[in-house]
Amino acid sequence: MKAKRNTQRFWLAAFIFVLFSFGVMADVPVPDIPEAVKGEQCVEETGFMRRNHMELLLHQRDDTLRKGIRTQKHSLKNCFTCHVVKGADNQPVTVKDSRHFCRECHDYAAVQVDCFQCHTSVPGGAKTTGTRP
Amino acid sequence: MTLSVVYAILFYAATLLLVVGVVRKIIIYARTPAPLKIPVTPAPTTKAGVVWRMTKEVTVFQSLFKANKWTWLFGWMFHVALAFVLFRHLRYFQEPVWAIVALIQPIGQYAGFAMLAGLTGLWARRFLVDRVRYITSLSDHLMLALLVAIGLSGLAIKYLAHTDIVALKTWVLGLMYFDLQPLPSDIFVLLHLGLVIILMVIFPISKLLHVPGLFFMPTRNQVDNPREVRHTAGWTAK
Repeated sequence: MKAKRNTQRFWLAAFIFVLFSFGVMADVPVPDIPEAVKGEQCVEETGFMRRNHMELLLHQRDDTLRKGIRTQKHSLKNCFTCHVVKGADNQPVTVKDSRHFCRECHDYAAVQVDCFQCHTSVPGGAKTTGTRP
Repeated sequence: MTLSVVYAILFYAATLLLVVGVVRKIIIYARTPAPLKIPVTPAPTTKAGVVWRMTKEVTVFQSLFKANKWTWLFGWMFHVALAFVLFRHLRYFQEPVWAIVALIQPIGQYAGFAMLAGLTGLWARRFLVDRVRYITSLSDHLMLALLVAIGLSGLAIKYLAHTDIVALKTWVLGLMYFDLQPLPSDIFVLLHLGLVIILMVIFPISKLLHVPGLFFMPTRNQVDNPREVRHTAGWTAK
């Protein structure tokens, strides 16, 4: 008899727990992906870019660095012709700013990139620590 | 959107089964008396000693190490890698992501491979060691197959066919906020999540219960003080 009452209590507790968990209902946090400043369409289709942009950039890097083929379409520099976020001073923010185009999603997904240890993260090539943009 | 709803319902159901199931088992384990004083000697004579013994048991699998080096090697490799992998997956459940979780990401990637290597070793053992092969049942193979499939499908998302990781995280957070979001319907994602749902459901009714069960081993969690303190439990208490 005692065991049965305990079982009932257990299920009641489980039920109350589920009820309470509904109390945390709120809007889900999403990254605030900045609009591109120009153009309707990225260099590839959006769904493809969201999944595979890193492959394009790494492929481009290999082609450029190892084979000397330097094209514009998939270059990192080309990203920033459209994907720039302006700061309060109306200047493009660098990757140090959490509003930077790359950082919005990369922070969200906790994915670190090492592009900007050498490359510039703003159009036109602002001064960074690397020798060449 | 249909898929998002189906997977969301399955995940809620699986989570409920996992939590309720494991808590129920823990209650059963905790209530089951250990009538005899049977710590495997040499055993600690103080409570602190038992805590230290259990810590070693949980973190480095001490008695398995003493028993069998090969099983220990693959088993420990699998479990440590799994710990890293699970910790890495925390990123889908929190926003902002903890710095330590962000830091662990690259290690977690390699851990995925280490996990599979460990599982492969453990599976090979079930074929290659006669005595183990003799006691191996179908469920042992299926459990290993399930874990390997989860590992492979996870690595496939990372290395074969990427998914929209941001959308995926939004979907997972949506589950936690009860604010359903669209799930990216890439095949490996659906496969990975589906297999994890199966794992969550069978966890409370399978050998995977060694996770909480480990802490209830009378041969490891008892203090070696039969003369100082009279041990009574279950029928020895009557």
